[in-house]
This record gives sequence, structure tokens and C-alpha cells, in this order.
Amino acid sequence: MKKFGLFASACAFAMAVSAGGVNAADCVHKIGGIAPLSAPGTVVGGEAMRDAMLIAEKDINAAGGVLGCDVKIVIADSEGLPEKAKAIMEKLITQDGVVAVGGGYHSSVGVAAKDVANARKIPTVFAETWNDTITGDKQKYIFRIAPLSSWASATIWRYALTIDSVKKVAILTENTDYGIPAAKETTKGLEGGGKEVVTFSVDIGTQDYAGIIQRIKASKPDMIITLATGEAGYNFTQQAADAGIGPLDVVFVTGQVSLESKAYWENVPDGNRAFVQRIGLPESGFSARGKAFAKVYKAKTGKKAVESYAMEAYDSVAILAQAINEAKSTDGDAIVKALESITYNGTLGKIFFPYGTGKDPSADGKPDSWWHQWPDVALTMIQYQKEGESSGNATIVYPDVYKTGEPIINK
Amino acid sequence: MFWGAILWMVVWGVIGSIAIRRRYLHRDLDTSNANIVGAFVGAGTGPVGVLFLWLRTPVLTVHYIALPAIITMGVFMFVFATSDPNNICVTNGTFVASQVVNGLVIGIIYGFMALGLTLIFSILGIVSFAHGEFYMIGGMLVYYITVVWFPGLNPVLGVLGACIITFSLGAAFERAFLTPMYDGRVARPVEYGILVTFGLAFTLQYFVQAVAGANPVKARRFLDFPRLRLPSDDDPWLLKSSRGSLELFESVTISSPRLTAAVTCILVLIALLYFLHRTWTGKALRAVSLDRDAAAIAGINPDRMNMLAFALGGMIAAMAGALLVQAFSWLPQVGAIPAMRSFVIVVLGGLGSLPGAFIGGIFVGLVEAAGTGCVPDPQKAASYIPAYGMLVLTLTLLLRPTGLLGRRFSSATHGQN
Repeated sequence: MKKFGLFASACAFAMAVSAGGVNAADCVHKIGGIAPLSAPGTVVGGEAMRDAMLIAEKDINAAGGVLGCDVKIVIADSEGLPEKAKAIMEKLITQDGVVAVGGGYHSSVGVAAKDVANARKIPTVFAETWNDTITGDKQKYIFRIAPLSSWASATIWRYALTIDSVKKVAILTENTDYGIPAAKETTKGLEGGGKEVVTFSVDIGTQDYAGIIQRIKASKPDMIITLATGEAGYNFTQQAADAGIGPLDVVFVTGQVSLESKAYWENVPDGNRAFVQRIGLPESGFSARGKAFAKVYKAKTGKKAVESYAMEAYDSVAILAQAINEAKSTDGDAIVKALESITYNGTLGKIFFPYGTGKDPSADGKPDSWWHQWPDVALTMIQYQKEGESSGNATIVYPDVYKTGEPIINK
Repeated sequence: MFWGAILWMVVWGVIGSIAIRRRYLHRDLDTSNANIVGAFVGAGTGPVGVLFLWLRTPVLTVHYIALPAIITMGVFMFVFATSDPNNICVTNGTFVASQVVNGLVIGIIYGFMALGLTLIFSILGIVSFAHGEFYMIGGMLVYYITVVWFPGLNPVLGVLGACIITFSLGAAFERAFLTPMYDGRVARPVEYGILVTFGLAFTLQYFVQAVAGANPVKARRFLDFPRLRLPSDDDPWLLKSSRGSLELFESVTISSPRLTAAVTCILVLIALLYFLHRTWTGKALRAVSLDRDAAAIAGINPDRMNMLAFALGGMIAAMAGALLVQAFSWLPQVGAIPAMRSFVIVVLGGLGSLPGAFIGGIFVGLVEAAGTGCVPDPQKAASYIPAYGMLVLTLTLLLRPTGLLGRRFSSATHGQN
């Protein structure tokens, strides 16, 4: 009888513990985090975004989580492929049970995944997908904190128009949902300003640019613009430098991946004087949250500077957490309503969405792409002016409002 | 006009290929070259050449392939130049020269890498799907040896280290996983070989990603050129060099990484040929590739040759990577495209043929350079790079499935005695 009593007590204790465990597991809200973690995606960008989203998870939980529960970020690998993007969005929603989704690097991934998220009524805040149609389709559940491709292109071509010595521009673009529209926008802007433009396009993942570089060289450009993601930016820039048309020879805008300074200088030893487009303010102008994030991020990754896409990834998840708290619900419609009226002080600054179901962009004469789009993205052009320089310390040469120094223009 | 001429060539190529093969079959003659000769004669000379072949039915030696191929190429170039006279490949001779040199240089490296794949096939009778990963490991090892573990170490030692490690890795893998193919322990040795090398490929790729991360890395240039201006500083028409590249005749630019890689590949190829033709072990390898049973009767241990071939093949791929890690940004996935290209090259050159692999590599390099340089629309020229190789592969399979220098039947029956 005594043994039976002990056994019964043990069973009761075990049941109580397991019941407690079930309750704790129930009190986790999952948010999806999309990032390219395998080739042909930009793995270097994906890893930065993953690290940033996991820092966001920690910060959110340290601040009390959402609706009194912990947040769990479910990272999903898009591989930079649209078909994979659709599949992982379905998986995140139907198998992992996420209540919202953040992250996203490649435009083609955003273009493909947004339809799935919208059909499943899952609010999604895209972090680094630039293609205009992502918000231009005016889908209820889709938001974006990255710049529009047309804005990003405009920063480059407007800067090019300020350089009088540039008469002919060669554009190297990847043939993707990011590269093709970006090249068209850039060409339109440059031609409007009287510059001659020739565009060369390559497959994503191309390594050897020798042939196309000879062709670019034969076209005798004064300026070269790289609209390619990932290590393509490194390969093209260094191979162009080897052929005598690199950053030390002509005005050269390299890929955004070059903001990862340590990798840039290792992969492009002849890359001094390259221009890079940067999303967000320089580190000296970071918000309090941005500075705090930068400190943790650098300690975690050992990097010298914080990439803009890491900050965007952090904010894409953190803004969703705030929206869920403000909505007091994980219901998709309630989160969308909260996002449309949100003011979130993030690492990139104050984020808000002025246009959506309450006010159409056309009311202010804006194009459809402004729908659920953060309008205040800071876009700058920086130039590496010393070998080994960190992108955080590089000279901001455009626009004037953020300018920290004069550009060095190769004659 | 261009597409009309191409259609004419394609139609007569197809007619020639089918008709000449049927004619040779009908006359009970050797048909092994009938398809390719018929296709080239039809495409290059139209009905005149096809009729000549149809009536004469000569013995189709290599000359009957080479001459119509040159004529076809000439006709194609003439049509191209006539229909697009402003094309850069027609108007700019220096550009053409630079593209040809680029194609040759990269083709030599392609061919060298494919050499390893064809060596493995000729001895073991399997296609190694881990070839791209050996290439990747070779580059990663040079990076780690010369940049991370021993910064400043001479890159030659780095390449040597990479070769030793990958040779050992290949030998160990062959002993551990491929021996079941030889003694009947597996019922389907071909499928087993494919699966087990696939497994090795995934393991190596994700192991490197876990250890090295996904940031692109690169070794420093092996050789910085001295600053030269010849014949004079004022007019360096002959040679102008900077740290990373040299320019010949004010037209052809070759980067230091590519040049050092190509020259090393040629030197190693010569050493490899010496090894295969002048040493006992090399002759034993060749004997096994020709006839395993006869080689075994002559006292050669085919199992040991299997190990040597797999280790050597993997090491050759690794060496190609070790030489190119100074030219390209290196990632765990970097081997995928070169591996695919190697498959194309070995099919083109002939499965199991070492000279065929090298010639095939140069051919693919030149085709890619020509496509990238001469396709009129610059937005499409480089986008089609993978397609150029696939076009070559398709044509080879259609016209000469055994490849340029391939044997019709491989004696290597999947490593079995």
C-alpha cells in the first residue's frame, strides 16, 4: 500500500511537471524570420539577418515578450529562390504556426512569398526586399521597411548626375527581380540627365566576369555601377580592378555586400575608392536602440560595422512584436490595424506606415508602391578612401544632408 | 539573314547527319563518325557535300571531321560578320584577341579540373559527384593555411599542403566507402558510387559551412607583377604591368591569379603525363583503365590503382581550387558550377580520355568567351554563359556520344575485377 502511495505520488508529480511544461510551451508566440542561408542566395547577408533576428528575439523576451509570453523566431532558409520562398512561407504558417513573418533579403523571394502570406492572412514585414511591386500590389498583410528599388536606384543615378566628368555609364546587373527593375530605373534616370548608358546582365551566382569585363572595357565607360547581390559584388569589382577598370581607375559603385568591410578588403584588395550605397544613417547618427543593437551585434559577430540589412532584419521582427502587443491579439487583421497606426522607435529610426487601408497613397498623389511602405529610409552613398577602412567610418559623399567629406573622383 | 542562314545550316546538318549514317549502314560501313561528319558536311557545304559523301562513302577518319568542322565554323563566322557588321567581335580585333586569350586561360583551368573527373571515371568507372567539393576544399585549405593558420606563408606551400590533405582525404574515402563496389558487397555498384559520392559532397559542403561560415574568403595574390613598361615608359606598346595584371600589345589583359593558375596547370599536366607514361605506377594506372583483368594478370593490384586514381582525381580538382582561390571569392558552395562544367567537358572530350578532357576544357572556355563577347545584346551575352556549355553538351551527345577522343566502351567495369 505504501509502495502504491509512493507510485501514485510520483505519477501525480510527473503529471504536474508535464502539465506545467505544456502550459509553458503554449505560451510562446512564433514569428517567422526569412533569410538566405544557402547558395545561390546571399549567405553572408542571410547570416547577418539571422544573427540580428535572434538578437531581436532575446531583446523582446527580456522586455517581457508579447502578450505575456515569450517570442520564438523561427528562422527559415529561402536560398534566395522564389520557389523555395513560397514553400518556406507555407511551412512557417501551416507547420510552425507563426503569427507573423519578418526578414527577407532577395526581391525575388519577397515577390514570391508575399502572395502566400497575404492569402493566409499572416502579417509580413519585409526587411531587405526592394522590388517596388512587393508593396505596389497593395496587399493587406504586406509591409516593408526597406527602401523601394526605385528610391535606391535614384540615389545612385542622382549621385552620378552630380559628377560632371561622367559621360558614359556601364551597369552590371543580375537578372533577378531586384537587378532588372533597378537597372531600368537607373538607366532611365541617367539617360534623363544626358548620360549614355550600356547595361550588361549576368546570372546570379556568376563567378568569372573576365569576358564581360573585356566587353565593358571596350565600351570605355567613365563610371561603372554594380547592381548585384552577394559575393558577385566582390568578384566583379576585383576582376574589374585586375583588368584596369576598377575603383582606382574609373568611378565605380560596387555591390551593397561591400558594407561588410572585413570581407570586402579580403576579397577586393584593390577596392579602394569604391562607392557603395548604404541604407540607414552612419553609425554616429544611430538611434539609442541602434547603438545598443550595434554593440551587441558586433560582440556577437566580431564584425567592425553593422550592415543595414542586419538592422532592417532586427526591426522587421521587433516592430511585429510591438504591433502584437498593441493589438493585444495575434489575429492577423488586428496586427495589420496596429501596424498601420504604429510608431516604432527602431534601430533605423522612427518607423511608421502612412498609407494603407485607412489612406490610399493616391490621396497624396503617391504611387501604389507607397502602400504599407516606410517612407523615411535614409539612403546615402559612401566611399572607401583608405585601404582597410570600415564602412562605418567611410566618407559619406551623398546626399548633402548627410555628407561628411568630398569624394575622390578618378580622372 | 543571320537566322535564315542558321536555319539553312541546321536543316542541312540534320539531313546530312541522318542521311550519311543511313548510307553507311546500308553499305555496311563503320558508322561511328557518320553522324558528326554528316552534320558538319551538311551544315558547312549544304547539299553539295552531302551528295559527295553519299556517293563516295569514304572511310571517315579524323580529317573528315576536322575539315568540315573548320568549314562550318568559317561559314558561321562569315554569316555572323555579314549580318552584324558593327558587332564588336567584327570591328575590334584587339577585343577578339583579349577574348581568345581569356578563353584559352580559363579553358586550361577548366580542362585541368575535368582531368581529375575523367581519371576517376577511367579507372573506377564511376562519376564522382564530390568533384566540386574537392575543388572547394582545395581553395579553402589554401586560404586557411596561408591566411588563417600561418599568415604570410609562401602560397606554394599552401597549395602543396592542400594537395597532400585532399589526396589523403580521397584515399581514405575510397578505402572506407568505395571498396564495397569491387567485391560484390553491393548489388548496384554504379548507383552506389553515385549515392556515396553525393553523400560525400553534401558532407564536405556543410562541414565546411559549419566550420568556416558563409562569408566569402579569398587568399592573397600568389604573385605581384613588378611594374614594367616595355619598350619604354612613354610608349609601352609591348608590355605594361601593374601589381595585379599585365597588358600585352595594349590590348590583351591577363590578371596575375589567372596567369599563375594557367601556367601551373600546364606544368602539372606535363608532370602528370610524365607520371602516367614514364613511371611504373602511371603505366599500371593506364593498364587498369584499358583492361582490368589483363592488368591484374600482369601483377598490378587494381584495388590499389582505384585508390590512387580517386585520390589523384580529387587532388587535381583541389589543386584547381587551390590555384583559383586567389582569383575568386570562395564559399562552401563554390564548387557547384565548376563541377557541372567538368561534367560537360568530360562528355565533350570523351569519358575516360585525359587529352580529351584537356582539349574539351579549352574548347568550352573558348565557346564561353566567344558567346560572352559576341552575342549582340549585352544584357543577354553573359546571362547565357551556362547555356553555352549545355549547348556544347547537347550537340556532343547528339552527334558523337563517345566525345571527341572517347572510347566507345570503357573497360572499367565499376571498379570490379
